[in-house]
Amino acid sequence: MPIEVIFFIEVLVGGLLAGVMYSLVALGFVLIYKASGVFNFAQGSMVFFAALTFVSLTERGWNFWLALVITLAVMVVLGLAIERVVLRPLINQPQITLFMATIGLTFVLEGLSQLIWGSQPHGLELGIPDIPMEWLSQKWNINISQFDLFAAFVAGLLVAVLAVFFQKTRIGRALRAVADDHQAALAVGIPLQHIWAIVWAVAGFVALVAGLMWGVRNGVQFALTFVALKALPVLLIGGFESIPGAILGGLIIGATEKLAEVYVGPMFGGGIESWFAYVVALLFLLVRPEGLFGEKHIDRV
Amino acid sequence: MMLSVENVSLAFGGVKALSDVSFDVQEHEIRAIIGPNGAGKSSMLNVLNGVYHPQTGKIRFKEKTFSDMDPHAAAALGIARTFQNIALFKGMTVLDNVMTGRNLKMRCNFLQQAVWFGPAKREELEHRRAVEEIIDFLEIQHIRKTPVGRLPYGLQKRVELGRALAAEPQLLLLDEPMAGMNLEEKQDMCRFVLDVNDQYGTTIVLIEHDMGVVMDISDRVVVLDYGRKIADGSPEQIKNNQAVIDAYLGVAH
Amino acid sequence: MLYREAGQFKSTYAQDQQIFPIRQDRIAIALLLVVAFVVVPLVGDQYWLSALITPFLIFALAALGLNILTGYAGQLSLGTAAFMAVGAFMTYNFVLRLPWLGIIPSMILAGVCAAAVGIVFGLPSLRIKGFYLAVATLACQFFVLWALQRFGWFTNHSASGVITAQQIVIFGVAFNTPAEKYLFTLAIVVVMALLAKNLMRSETGRAFMAVRDMDVAASVVGIPMMQTKLLAFAISSFYCGVAGALHAFCYLGTVEPEAYTLDLSFRILFMIIIGGVGSILGSFLGAAFITLFPIFLNLASGWLSRAVGIEFSSAAVSNLELIIFGGLIIFFLIVEPNGLARLWQITKEKLRLWPFPH
Repeated sequence: MPIEVIFFIEVLVGGLLAGVMYSLVALGFVLIYKASGVFNFAQGSMVFFAALTFVSLTERGWNFWLALVITLAVMVVLGLAIERVVLRPLINQPQITLFMATIGLTFVLEGLSQLIWGSQPHGLELGIPDIPMEWLSQKWNINISQFDLFAAFVAGLLVAVLAVFFQKTRIGRALRAVADDHQAALAVGIPLQHIWAIVWAVAGFVALVAGLMWGVRNGVQFALTFVALKALPVLLIGGFESIPGAILGGLIIGATEKLAEVYVGPMFGGGIESWFAYVVALLFLLVRPEGLFGEKHIDRV
Repeated sequence: MMLSVENVSLAFGGVKALSDVSFDVQEHEIRAIIGPNGAGKSSMLNVLNGVYHPQTGKIRFKEKTFSDMDPHAAAALGIARTFQNIALFKGMTVLDNVMTGRNLKMRCNFLQQAVWFGPAKREELEHRRAVEEIIDFLEIQHIRKTPVGRLPYGLQKRVELGRALAAEPQLLLLDEPMAGMNLEEKQDMCRFVLDVNDQYGTTIVLIEHDMGVVMDISDRVVVLDYGRKIADGSPEQIKNNQAVIDAYLGVAH
Repeated sequence: MLYREAGQFKSTYAQDQQIFPIRQDRIAIALLLVVAFVVVPLVGDQYWLSALITPFLIFALAALGLNILTGYAGQLSLGTAAFMAVGAFMTYNFVLRLPWLGIIPSMILAGVCAAAVGIVFGLPSLRIKGFYLAVATLACQFFVLWALQRFGWFTNHSASGVITAQQIVIFGVAFNTPAEKYLFTLAIVVVMALLAKNLMRSETGRAFMAVRDMDVAASVVGIPMMQTKLLAFAISSFYCGVAGALHAFCYLGTVEPEAYTLDLSFRILFMIIIGGVGSILGSFLGAAFITLFPIFLNLASGWLSRAVGIEFSSAAVSNLELIIFGGLIIFFLIVEPNGLARLWQITKEKLRLWPFPH
């Protein structure tokens, strides 16, 4: 194959896989929004907190799997604490209030993470090297990272599990009811606080997975909190309430961003990644204000 | 003739809200739209006001004919309305809410308003005077500075009427103005509606469930059922119309 | 007892519509203005003026701008810092390239430029609402900052990307010392606050609040959706632009993109959350709180470490600051979502009776 086509495929696949990484973070947002109607701006700092906790434990010599379990437990406890301290007093407040509360939560988590574990950057190893897949590079001369593929596989698995959970199980139904209307859900006897505790714990788990993936990719440092900002355009495109939307949106954003960076960026002197994803999402919204799979809100008067 | 509805049909996806409805409204009259729940009465009002756009049919208002107007244009033409589920601005006081009804009459731009002294102040006070007359008329002086969200339902309905009146409309659409009121409040509201019709000559189209009210204050009545018009005439005629009785009481099969 | 309104009757609508209808309020404001304009510059410590009071005024103005957009008009925006950056950079360029304009017209024009940017990035608000809009405003924040750094025209092709703000000279009089810069800032902020208050109690303010509370109903009443939303973006961005110009010329002394990051946008959002959304007074209270807070925390940690004997590292202090900050935001949202302004109102109501119980 001609070298330009190979290069294009590499960039495209690289972008798609990067998009999957964004989706991992976006999934956490979607989960919480779908199940409690809260747009959890603190997701990024949850990712950071999870990754930092895990890495700090392993660096202190703890066994990999033990550290994983402990971190998971910590995230669950964190979820319960958030539900008790932040969400319960704010039941039935408008969405905007809850959103601003999660911004406050972001700061608390960021400060807390660094207060407990310090602020030096850490590297993270999961045993899968970031080198090109052998048979691909040898047969077709295409370089695609093993680690990227692994991350994509993990993300796909997570999405499948979550999708089944929401659609098929009783708890999943209850979660969707709660997202629609807190008071109505309470009125039919859904134990709101238990549900929220479950949801935030699951979101914590998703944050941990995302934190591990991103930690290998970029290292575990404060800048990790900014991955949340990258996930936002994904949510705009996929819709805030859709799990498949998070994946599809991630793929779209990842691919267009990478392609633009390589092919369009040089025309503008580079650096367009900081805003390109957002502008793409914005233009997309002008055509479809609810995103690909978001629910249309009809104002009944 | 002030208003003419011609063959209007409205559907939401598969749900047919209105099917081929036609009727007219004479100037200065009080026209009631009645019918069982889900008959399409509110939808009809929303079509008149431009909130919904009918798939087929036309509305003729004064000399204009249209089928896809937006609410803002309707307001500019002189159509004002109230809503079934109170659409007041909860963050503002009663006075401010009624004042918003005057916005189409205000001419000063934002720069003049920022300076305040001069034309903006004069205009504001002039409209304040007009709004205070309406507040007097509706007997809500004592709550003019109260945030609307704190008021009981009946008073909120009155404030909403005030906001609609503030625009000095030629056509007033009232969506269940007496809903949720006790006998005294209903009597007050009836009095207000009749006074508005008498004093200002406003043409009124109202949706109402209370048959006593309908019989007492309306000049003519349109009856809808499942989106179709099943009767049209004076209150007396409607009362004795078999189709109407069937619709309300149900028919044995 | 202090605050009895009894006996103060209004006999004309004009009296009723005053900004400060109660006599005690009028006296208090007059006193405050006298203190601000006369006493503070004479008595004020140079450091306090340049590091605390002047930035407080500047952020209060930016908070005011954001409050107009988010508090009154209900359009959530996270791009405040970007508009400030536009104001700062454009003022620099106007003073540089059109020196005959003068500093105040330059600032006004820069504000207009910020307003234009605001209108462009406010266009999505016609189709999208709520969080979607907030995320869209992030596009503005990132894009504007990138553009200001990427295109050398804005920095006059300076090699380092950081440019020194020019001197403020009005009719030959230079405003150099902290006291002079303070007075310049104070005058502008007071005038603009007054204009804002006038606007918000007029039809424009009502239209904004109507769009915020229920936009379908606003449309039915005849309020034009597009013009109103875009006007909100324009006015808000104008205010933020002027604040940005003051920020560069009277506070930092330099015009640099790094001063206008997303972090600043969030800070100003917090000012209006804590101070009171939809309140002019709230903008000032919130700005005061957030400007003073780090100082207070530093003093407290210093005092605490002396009292207890533990040394707090600066990293620990800054992390604590983050935690307490975030905690306070959550606290305010739970306890008093209407912020300090509402607490102030409640205090005034209690003052009516104090020292009597009822």
